[in-house]
Amino acid sequence: MNWLKASPKYVVLTAVVLCTLFPVYWMLVIATQRDIFSKVSILPSSLTLEHVIDIFTKDNYMLPLANSFTITVTSLLIVLVFGLSSAYVLGRRTFRIAYKNTLLVWILLVRVLPPITFALPLYIMMNDAGLLSTKLPIILAHVLVNLPLVIWFMMAFFYSVPEEIEESARMDGASEFVIYSKVILPLVLPGIAAVTILSFMASWNEYLYSVIFIQSPGDFTIPLKLATLNSEQELTEWGKVASGGLVSVIPVLLTAVFMQKHLMNGLTAGAVKE
Amino acid sequence: MRKRLAITLSLMMAASIVAGCQAKSEDKLVIAARGGSHVTAMEAVKAEFEQKHNVKVEIIGLESADLKQKISLDAKNKNGAYDLIMADDPWMPELSEAGIFANLTELGVEEDADFEESSLALGKHPYQTGDLYALPFSGNVQLFFYNKQLLDNYNAEVPQSWEEVLHIANKAHEEDNLIGYVIRGQQGNPIVSDFLPIFWAYGGQVFDEQWNAQIDSEAGQQALDTYIQLAAVGANYETTDIVSSVSEGRATMALGWPSWFIAGETASADYAPIPSKATANGAAASTGMIGNWMMGVTANSQNKELAANFLTFITSSDTQKKLVEHGGVPTRKSVYLDSELAAKYKHFPIMLEALQNSVARPRTAKWSRVEEALGVELSAAIAGTKSIEAALSDANKAVNEIMQ
Amino acid sequence: MHSKRRFQWTMLAPVILLLIGLTVFPVVYTISNSFTDYYYLASEAKQFVGLRNYIKAVQDEVFRKAVWNTLKFMLLAVTIETALGLAIAVLIESLKKGAKLLRVSLLIPALLPPVTVALIWQMMLSNHNGIINHMLAWFGAGPFNYLMDIRIAFNAILFIDIWQWTPFAFLLLYAGLQAVPRSQYEAAKVDGAGKLRIFTHITLPNIMPTLLLVILLRTIDTFRLFDKVNILTGGGPANSTTTITQYIYRHGVYNLQIGYGAAASIIMVGLVLLFSVIYIKRSLGGSQNEMRH
Repeated sequence: MNWLKASPKYVVLTAVVLCTLFPVYWMLVIATQRDIFSKVSILPSSLTLEHVIDIFTKDNYMLPLANSFTITVTSLLIVLVFGLSSAYVLGRRTFRIAYKNTLLVWILLVRVLPPITFALPLYIMMNDAGLLSTKLPIILAHVLVNLPLVIWFMMAFFYSVPEEIEESARMDGASEFVIYSKVILPLVLPGIAAVTILSFMASWNEYLYSVIFIQSPGDFTIPLKLATLNSEQELTEWGKVASGGLVSVIPVLLTAVFMQKHLMNGLTAGAVKE
Repeated sequence: MRKRLAITLSLMMAASIVAGCQAKSEDKLVIAARGGSHVTAMEAVKAEFEQKHNVKVEIIGLESADLKQKISLDAKNKNGAYDLIMADDPWMPELSEAGIFANLTELGVEEDADFEESSLALGKHPYQTGDLYALPFSGNVQLFFYNKQLLDNYNAEVPQSWEEVLHIANKAHEEDNLIGYVIRGQQGNPIVSDFLPIFWAYGGQVFDEQWNAQIDSEAGQQALDTYIQLAAVGANYETTDIVSSVSEGRATMALGWPSWFIAGETASADYAPIPSKATANGAAASTGMIGNWMMGVTANSQNKELAANFLTFITSSDTQKKLVEHGGVPTRKSVYLDSELAAKYKHFPIMLEALQNSVARPRTAKWSRVEEALGVELSAAIAGTKSIEAALSDANKAVNEIMQ
Repeated sequence: MHSKRRFQWTMLAPVILLLIGLTVFPVVYTISNSFTDYYYLASEAKQFVGLRNYIKAVQDEVFRKAVWNTLKFMLLAVTIETALGLAIAVLIESLKKGAKLLRVSLLIPALLPPVTVALIWQMMLSNHNGIINHMLAWFGAGPFNYLMDIRIAFNAILFIDIWQWTPFAFLLLYAGLQAVPRSQYEAAKVDGAGKLRIFTHITLPNIMPTLLLVILLRTIDTFRLFDKVNILTGGGPANSTTTITQYIYRHGVYNLQIGYGAAASIIMVGLVLLFSVIYIKRSLGGSQNEMRH
């Protein structure tokens, strides 16, 4: 009886899931078929791993994967270390900061303004500093992309930790840094997990800054590599495009699956605050 | 344990971030290229040069718009990041005027008469008459593709004029409800590349000799009228659909770049040079739009002589013959006429014929902006939001504004 | 007290330095360029041209169309994505089983690189080879020329964005729903409130912060719409899908008319500020309250 009552819901949700996943499924089909266009059908007819193997052997996909990884992880580390420390100071009531509102608006604006406004001037700046042959500019760009999100998101978490906890630690003679790192930080871990995943996603797929700042094929990231597959005078190799897309989503997907609990906890915790 | 792991990881990361710094110390050439088959082909043959000159050749494959942006941005640096760059031929005036290329004659690169003339002319600045700044790397030219079976069904020969094309297209549409002709009408570069050959066939020119726009002319009106009529009995597709519809006999005719239909030794549709006349009795014009990829040495390269050597090597007759196997399109007559290759690659004679009868897009540094404006108006005309007259007169106005 | 002060500035210093380094120069540079005729490849120095770039942009029919398209896209996409996301979240919240599995599978679209998303849809929407037209053919409909037909193209792009980002909205809203205290629901039920009443009086107020966050994040993102348009339609047919970012990209980056591109960017910034001013005010209001406590 209960089941019957719930069944329309399941029908609707199944439809939603099918619509959402179908393009992904289709990508899988195209990636594993020898010839996609001779016969279009819902089920794959000639399974092959040729395209997937091709992008690794012929197009050396390992390199951009590794690069994307280095750039994403390094920028995330920087964002977290600095973002958390400032979110802490900005979010806790014990600190009184001059021009706090100006600073907050400024940080928010960085998130709101179109990246195209920053990209070219930053290129010129990095170029003059002679940094373009390194990975530093692109890492800094990713820091710029994610910093506002981390600060704004985490401020609310720090704000919600009861003041008594901080006070009692202070009574015990703990230094400010110990209060921050040993007492408060562990309490906002769910938030950190959630914001890490959100930033990871943004960084992994970032294209605009990458294309402007990255100079050598040795530094190519995944989105950059994927973009070269689409061309004017040649026919697009759909098998490769689809395989590349699949490979690119695996790391993020794994993170999301394994950290799903943390992500949800973090988001849930964040939802009550603000 | 965990701490140590963290430290090792961060050290490794720090090392990989600054790794780029040292890379320049060894002798190497960096090429900024159009990604895709060009890069695959060059990668396949570069070893010979690397060994002979004891140098590493690094090729960066980029998406077309990204490539233009990167080489332009790097051009203003004293020490360029690239030694050689590839450029789509319509960019040549803009890039040459900006002084991005090194003068090849001064670097001792000879003007080889073996290059197809119309291709070689693209690398000179000013066009055709000036000094040599780039050599043709890939000799693409648009062709006319058709489904032979269908043309036979309508007892039609390969059309020589656009009047005939329209006639066949109408017939296919009316008799069998097939797609008479496929236009490639995406706003921007596609629709402009697809329309210009027809415009040229009607005797049109984008500019007169004083660089006044001539789009709003009788030729323009007739050509656009034909184009819209073709679309009405045909379809407006992107590349993949153009290829499959013509190949599989759902559509009769379309324009296209050779590699869409011709892979290696086989072609999925028949091909011919683009019809050069408006009407059967009309005057013939050059209509094969040339779309060569050029390669030149950058003016800010730190290794110009070696780069020039590589350019000579990669465009040499021997190398081109090898590049063909990896999807390269030759630019030298001797390669097209090579009996062994011509026997293997059946499209070579037609490609050469098309190249010899080819036209380049107007040689102005402002072409990308002109193309942008033209694409907007053409798209409006085929979408029906503007009349032919309004679209052409607006295009004329916009182009004149850009040119002044 | 002194040490506390030193501590707080030490904690803030890196971020302030990063922001000064990475944002102040670019913004000043863009503003100053917007008053010049700066063309990156020009051999002559740039010239001051006053407001000419701004006037040109405002007078350009294509730019106005781009602004209109962007606003229309933003409003439709944000509304539909948020509403659909909320509906799915409410539906899944009411389930007893399977919520976890659904969560992961719905997350996938938001994880894909934008380039891949655009290319996959290009394949699916293709006229002859596209699976969508094939499926419609089984029902005797179509084929449709999704990306080239002026009546469909804009909606096709909108649909793809909704497909990609509704799950993201769902995910945040679902988390918000889970945080609503159960006791409030119980109390309402005891009072005999109907389902709709419970939703408008308890659920909505409780998830308001999350709802606003979703709206803000999606507004910022949809306002930048670029990749999908650039790959799928090139802004056509007849400018029906041109967006502001695409316009800036074509003029400022591809054609290197940096001065003109900068002016268009500043106009875009103005528009963005207009939209986010409400949110900024609200956020600041919040932090001012904090100070007062």
